[in-house]
Amino acid sequence: MTVHDDVSEVLLTEEQVQSRVRELGAQLTIDYAGRSPVLVSVLKGSIVFLADLVRHMDVPLSVDLMEVSSYGSGTETSGQVRILKDLSGPIEGRDVVVVEDIIDTGLTLNYLLRYLAERGPASIRVCCLLDKPARRLAEIVIDYRGFSIPDRFVVGYGLDFNEHYRNLPYIGVLRPSVYGGADPVA
Amino acid sequence: MAETLSPARAPRFAHASEAELARILDFYKVQWRYEPDVFPISWNVNGAVVESFAPDFYLPEIEIYLELTTLKQSLVRKKNRKLRWLRLLYPEVRIKLLYARDFRALMVKYGRLEFLSQVVEENTQLGGNGAAA
Repeated sequence: MTVHDDVSEVLLTEEQVQSRVRELGAQLTIDYAGRSPVLVSVLKGSIVFLADLVRHMDVPLSVDLMEVSSYGSGTETSGQVRILKDLSGPIEGRDVVVVEDIIDTGLTLNYLLRYLAERGPASIRVCCLLDKPARRLAEIVIDYRGFSIPDRFVVGYGLDFNEHYRNLPYIGVLRPSVYGGADPVA
Repeated sequence: MAETLSPARAPRFAHASEAELARILDFYKVQWRYEPDVFPISWNVNGAVVESFAPDFYLPEIEIYLELTTLKQSLVRKKNRKLRWLRLLYPEVRIKLLYARDFRALMVKYGRLEFLSQVVEENTQLGGNGAAA
């Protein structure tokens, strides 16, 4: 039994992901030529994407990481979202690229973009690997999009379920039985 | 950061799933109003309104209405019909319908399967098909 057994379908192969990440890095290199952006990523799902993306960017850049509390995690069903790990350095006057693994409801990113905007960056753009528009509640302008995906529960390449599956090199659809649903009858 | 518009006292929600969505919006500091507007969608020959649609939530910053349809299938059909009329009569209004499967996906995303079970049970008691339908 391996983690692969819980995947019902490979939605995006490792080659597809790597190829698209390379393209995104090349586009960012063109767009940020002569500038020195700071790539801000949100723990933990984005770290794999971020690590690959920066290696395809040929501009001087810096990286910063944030972590925000998630609704429903532990007993977090009251109160409000909290910054669990803030930026390590100032972003005032900097060109910020927010790097996200997946955007579905857009609620976390909507909050984060407002939070970052208050810190006076020169610009903020959004780069996400996966866009799941069917789930969107808060509209988000996505400047760099890896893939638009259907409304499926996906894991891998940093994305988890209960902290597992982040190490899959591809994007896979998790079997519904893993998260309390029923697998489709073959 | 902008404060939420959420009423100091929670409104009387028609369904537990609506209260849960309000908690999620509050958590992420998204302003919301509960059933703030009523849209007439049908009139009799005398011009009196005979049918209207009041979406569950309005998110003023995002300028979108949200309607939850986690109850029984007959109500979903009724809401779908109302939604078609709303979109026809008020094309400028942006509205998103959250079906049972959408709500379920939200609960899975936020690890709220226990709450989901309660909602399903509540729906069953109401004679509905349940949020997981």
